[in-house]
This record gives sequence, structure tokens and C-alpha cells, in this order.
Amino acid sequence: MICENCKERPASVIIKKGYIGEAVERHLCEKCAFQSETFHFDPNQEPLSIQQFLSQWFGGTEPFKTEQQQTRGNQFGSIECPGCNLTFSKFLDIGKFGCATCYDTFRQHLPNVFGKLHSGHTTHTGKIPVSFNRVYAIKRKVEEVRAKMQAAVAEERFEEAAALRDQANELQKQLAHGGEERNVD
Amino acid sequence: MSIEKFIQNAATGWMTAHGENSDIVLSTRIRLARNLRGYKFPIAANDEEALAVDKLVAGTLLDDNEDDYTYSRMSELSSLDREVLVEKHLVSPHLTDPKRHGAVLLSSDESISVMVNEEDHIRIQCIYPGLQLEEAFNQANHVDDILEKELPYAFDENFGYLTSCPSNTGTGMRASVMMHLPALTITKQIERIIPAIGRLGLVVRGSYGEGSKALGNVYQVSNQVTLGKTEAEILEDLSNITSHLLAHERKARNLLVEKSQIALENRLFRSLGTLVYSRLLQTGEAARCLSDVRLGIDLGIIKDVDMSILNELMIFMQPGFLQQFAQTDLTQEERDIFRAKLFRERLSIDGTRPSAETGTEE
Repeated sequence: MICENCKERPASVIIKKGYIGEAVERHLCEKCAFQSETFHFDPNQEPLSIQQFLSQWFGGTEPFKTEQQQTRGNQFGSIECPGCNLTFSKFLDIGKFGCATCYDTFRQHLPNVFGKLHSGHTTHTGKIPVSFNRVYAIKRKVEEVRAKMQAAVAEERFEEAAALRDQANELQKQLAHGGEERNVD
Repeated sequence: MSIEKFIQNAATGWMTAHGENSDIVLSTRIRLARNLRGYKFPIAANDEEALAVDKLVAGTLLDDNEDDYTYSRMSELSSLDREVLVEKHLVSPHLTDPKRHGAVLLSSDESISVMVNEEDHIRIQCIYPGLQLEEAFNQANHVDDILEKELPYAFDENFGYLTSCPSNTGTGMRASVMMHLPALTITKQIERIIPAIGRLGLVVRGSYGEGSKALGNVYQVSNQVTLGKTEAEILEDLSNITSHLLAHERKARNLLVEKSQIALENRLFRSLGTLVYSRLLQTGEAARCLSDVRLGIDLGIIKDVDMSILNELMIFMQPGFLQQFAQTDLTQEERDIFRAKLFRERLSIDGTRPSAETGTEE
């Protein structure tokens, strides 16, 4: 089936505009769905449906508005991303961000979302682009070196621990200088 | 021409057997999701933005002299060519929507594919044969480093790499291994194992269609959690689970041989018979029989069949490939006929590998 709106892309989303007794179904592609007003994905669509998961958790996407949904709409559901005009309630419906700015816009609510999706984790601990932020990269490195140092102390590898301590101090010095270009790596 | 080369030389690197556990672990895949700051994600982007992203990413990789990438825009490929790329797992079905400005950059050996304008601006994917999590990760990570030097990545101090779907936020990494687990399936132990693995932040699903039953007893095991763990931790968790599954599968295989040798042999040889003598062969049946024959070879019950042929057949039995070989569109029945013919020729007992119809004629 072809998207009812753009008549180009295959329809992959079923939108149910909901009023009691007269639900209207629209078949849209993902892109047009992003642009549309109110909708939700067909829950049977994807085996691992993030949007279904999110919206159920935030109070259901039944076509009939529940009290919870109204609260959601009134409180923070209407926060809108200046980058792509995605609202928070729409984000919960489609389960996708529209741009990097969404993360800033919805920042305070995201730990809740991520906690549910990532076994309680809300903070990144993995790779950092070198170019991203030298100071930040050094801070991370210091934490890493200190953790190694503690492990070394615990296992009574004191010489290694001392070397690691020196390394951490050296990194700290760089931080004090604002993380300037000097031999960070 | 070059895209033809990929499809004509249909066997791709990850299909060859590699390493000591390659009887059970077929391949390893690492995928990194990345986006650019200042451009809307593909779901919200207009044509102009999508093309700008395409230009930036393709430009960066094509300018890099290290590897020889081939660039293909999805809208410029025939639907059959796109289908074949999907069946080789070099692009995702999502990318191939011709209206999306999707494109792919393939390394010369096909081990690296970089998808542009998929769900995220950039999807770096490395597929290696056998169990090679670290190797595949290092390769993907290296490509990431090259892109990172030139492009403004969307990255956040708290949330890490920013992705369109919140389930990828953080490392943006999905690591997966494809495993052939016939004995765990036959003994139904897999039904117990799958939910248990789910509780560890990993997920097991069928390898062909997501959410589908595991066609040919091939399962894909991958990490679910991408936030709050380092890449190394994710790889370690997956590696541990993989070792456990390997051990369980081997135990179940031994049990099958001990407890019901004749019934097992009967089943495996019947499947070989089906593959060698059928005149109509459907996908599901072919996959099931292939799985049995593989198991037969692994257990030393079936001899004189080369494992790499089976790896190839797993891919070539899919509709897109069959039609590519036939060089024409085929109806369902024609495909089943053609599939049966392909299997007969590839598995011919005299051991000579017929070269006809595999598209290598110049």
C-alpha cells in the first residue's frame, strides 16, 4: 500500500485518529507520519516496537484519550523542539528523535526514557570523538586511570598503582591548564 | 559496472568458514550508528538536507585513500540489485526505499558497508566470517575514526552518540553473531534460553526476518543495551553469551548422538536426499534441510559435502539471488524449480563443483 499523503513511499504506519465510535485510519509512510498531527504506529508492525513500549509506559495510546494522556499533553508533552518541531508527546508516539537538538530540548525527561530502554543506564560511558571536547576526554581518562589504580591497590600491585597515580596527576595538570593542545594522547 | 561485480561475484567474504567455532558461529557483525550535528535526522530531513549529508559522507570516504570504496545510490539500482544487496546483508531493507536518498559505500572486499541516510545519517557496518567480535569492531571503529576527523558528529556529554532511535543512543553500537543452533532447537532448549538471555540485556532472534522464526535454525544474538556500557563491555557480554550458547549447543549435539543416533541419522540423510534429488524446493524446506545437512557434516555423519557450499547456498537460495542467476524475473514455482536445480548442481555427489549459472561467465 502507498502512503495516502505523499503517494510515493510505501505506507508503513497506520494512524488512528481517535474519537469514540468513529476512529479514522490513515495509512502513511514514516516520513509523512512524522509531519502529521496526531497518530500512533500500528502496534503489530514491528516485533520490537520502541514507540509502543514508550507510549504504553507513558500512559497508553488508545484512540480514546485517557486522563494520563491529557496530563502528559498539558505538562510536558507540548514541549517542541526548535530544530525539527517534534513535540515530546509525538516523540513518545513515534519513538524516534527528529534531530540532535531534540536531545537538548527533552533533556530533563530523557533519563526516564533511557533508563527503561537500557536496563537502568542513563549515561554514556563509551567512546568519545577525539575532536568533541579535549577537556571532557581528559576527565574521562582520569576516571579510567583512577579506576585502574584502585584495582591495582586492591590487588596489591603497588608499583603499578604508583605509576597510574602519577599518570592521573599529570592528566589533572593538563586539566588545570584548560586541556590545551599539549600531548593529551 | 562495479556494483555488478559485487553481485555477480556473489559469494562474499563473510560466507567462508573462519576459525575453530565456524561450524556454529557463521558470522559476526558490528554496526555503529552516527549522525551529523546541524542536519535533521533522515526521518525529518528534506531532500536538500539528505543530499547534503550524502555528499559529506560519501566525499569523506571516497577521498580517503586507505580503502577503495564503491558508492551506489539506491535510487539508481534496479529493484533486483537492491534485493540482492539486502540478501547479502550488505544493506538493510530500510535503506532500499528509493525515495529516501539512501546510498551505500562498499569496501572492495565487502567487509565494510557504510549506509547513508538509513534511520541515521551514517550506519557503519562490518561483517566478518566466524566469531571475530574484536576484529570486526576494530575495523568499524577505524572507519568511524576516519569519518570523525572530517565530520561534525552529533555527540553529547551525557548521552553519547545521538541517534534517531533512543534504543541506539550511547555507543550507537549493535554487535551481533549469527549462530546455527539445530540441536538446541530440536531439543527445544532454545525456548528456555531465549528469555533468559533477554534478561541480560541481549536479544536472540531469527536471522532472516526480524521477529520471524529462526529459518534454518540460524539465530542472531545481539546486544540490546547501548547506553551505560563501554563498547568493550558490550563485546565482552556478547562474547560470554556466545561461548555459553556454543557449549550448550555442543552438549545438546552429543546428547542427540548418544540417545537417538539412528533417528538422527535418518533425519539428516533424508534431508540430504531432499536437497540432492528435489525438483521443487521451497525456501522453508531448503533452509530446514540445509540446517540438517550442516549438522550432519559437523557430526561427521555426512561426508563429502563442502561446508562453504552450504554457506553459499544459504544466501543463494533467496529469491533475489535466484533471479539474478537466472537473469530474469521468476514466478514462485519457477523459483522453486530453479532453487532445486541450483542445489542439485552444487551438491552433486561426484564432488565436481559445476560452474554453470553462477554468473561467472565473462
